[in-house]
Amino acid sequence: MSDGNVSPPPPSMPPEINGSASMEKQFKGLLAQLEESGAIRERIKSVVMEIESAARAMHSELLLVHRSLPVPEVLEKARAQIDVLKDLYRRLSDILRECPGQYYRYHEDWRSGTQTVVSLIAYLHYLEMGSLLTHGQTEEKLGLDASDFCLDIEDYLTGLCFMSNEMPRYVVNQVTAGDYDCPRKIMKFLMDLHASFRMLNLRNDFLRRKFDSLKYDLRRVEEVYYDVKIRGLVAEDTIKDQTTESQI
Amino acid sequence: MSVCHTRFFFHRRLCFFFSLMASKPQRVHQFAGTSVPGSTKKRRTMTTDCSMSDGFVKYADYLNGLNEKRERVVKASRDVTMNSKKVIFQVHRISKHDKDEVLEKAEKDLASVTDLYMSRLVKELQGTDFWKLRRAYSPGVQEYVEAATLCKFCKSGTLLSLTELNASLLQLSDPSVEPLQINVLDYLLGLGDLTGELMRLAIGRISDGDLEYAKRICQFVRDIYRELSLLVPHMDDDTEMKKKMETMLQSVLKIENACFSVHVRGSEYMPLLGSSDQDFSVFGMPNFDP
Repeated sequence: MSDGNVSPPPPSMPPEINGSASMEKQFKGLLAQLEESGAIRERIKSVVMEIESAARAMHSELLLVHRSLPVPEVLEKARAQIDVLKDLYRRLSDILRECPGQYYRYHEDWRSGTQTVVSLIAYLHYLEMGSLLTHGQTEEKLGLDASDFCLDIEDYLTGLCFMSNEMPRYVVNQVTAGDYDCPRKIMKFLMDLHASFRMLNLRNDFLRRKFDSLKYDLRRVEEVYYDVKIRGLVAEDTIKDQTTESQI
Repeated sequence: MSVCHTRFFFHRRLCFFFSLMASKPQRVHQFAGTSVPGSTKKRRTMTTDCSMSDGFVKYADYLNGLNEKRERVVKASRDVTMNSKKVIFQVHRISKHDKDEVLEKAEKDLASVTDLYMSRLVKELQGTDFWKLRRAYSPGVQEYVEAATLCKFCKSGTLLSLTELNASLLQLSDPSVEPLQINVLDYLLGLGDLTGELMRLAIGRISDGDLEYAKRICQFVRDIYRELSLLVPHMDDDTEMKKKMETMLQSVLKIENACFSVHVRGSEYMPLLGSSDQDFSVFGMPNFDP
């Protein structure tokens, strides 16, 4: 303290005052930036809430498939929600167009909702066509333009795993309703899906855990298939089909 | 500290992963058992599989590319962290007499961090990567912000603004590439750490008898704390920042109390203060003994 005046005097009083004034100014600017992105986030969140509610509506329509054998009207009603979703995603991409390059800044906000949407659309697609909805087809159905607002591939893949979670229950109820061939078809579909997923080098993250759940879905479907087959409930022609196959 | 923590976490997750692996063979076996009906069945699976796997080949490429890139970014970020820390250590070597030389060396080191390591981040990050891979590079950038602002404060007593910092990064990339721009969040998180360093610096200055300098630091840190307290609630994910704010308040208090002690008790207290606060220079060491 006694030799405090020895210290070199880089910023004495005046620059310091200037300093804190310029500091205040810069922080005002940063606050404005943060408020702006906060406002964008609020808008995104409100659209995402609508997306989630449309997804719930679609899901509840799809739950009717457990009641009976496939009825076209059930699927028709579920399909109607896709247009609603398409419109909502258009609004989402309109908001994102205001802040180019920041898709992943807000990604968390729509991530889980989008995964659910993918799972429902892919599920519906399987029920209609018996095949897997590709990433490109999903973007198309939702009216997404990859340059603008893409569907993140990891979200798509997670959605597929969610879809497979629906399958065991579907299989069980189809068999109860009298469709004994359903387990075989779905088992094959899930086996293909499982084999395809194994081509991916997954990190030890959420998607990886979801992929593990796919394995359990497959096992459950296999059990149902086994139960049906061992009791001789599988339709005659498919059994014949298989035995001739195994003879070749 | 945070690095150690994540590593530990990783380790646990790995264990979880291996336990999954261990239970796998059995299940695979079951699959093989149920799909016995003939080799033809297998062949048929392969053919229908094709259309599905076409898509998955693309997804696999995408995921591989992304993971490799993330890995490279993490490495670059780690180098930035390590070397920025060295700059900070260099600044702490300041003493009354060799201030200018020490700072000059620190600035030179900082410039080489920018040229050698930040430039590697710049090369990797394009377009949407800035936000997508933010978690991979954020620790490094925060440390860099900390080092750069610390140097600037010691030199001129002012806060290096985000605009100035980003302007200095512009020269790294050629005009064709998108320049690396540090985002507001990482800048603010970096400032959160800066106050801890300033606290150490202030305590060091006090024990060196340079109370004026310590007081200046004290005022500066107070200002930053005050300004940040307005911003934090608006940040995207403010849990990390809230923690830093608490630490920051502790730092402010420590400096204030140190200034107070010297002020009240006078110079006879100084040597004692110096020795009791020596521990601050051993950054993060306790983390290494789990």
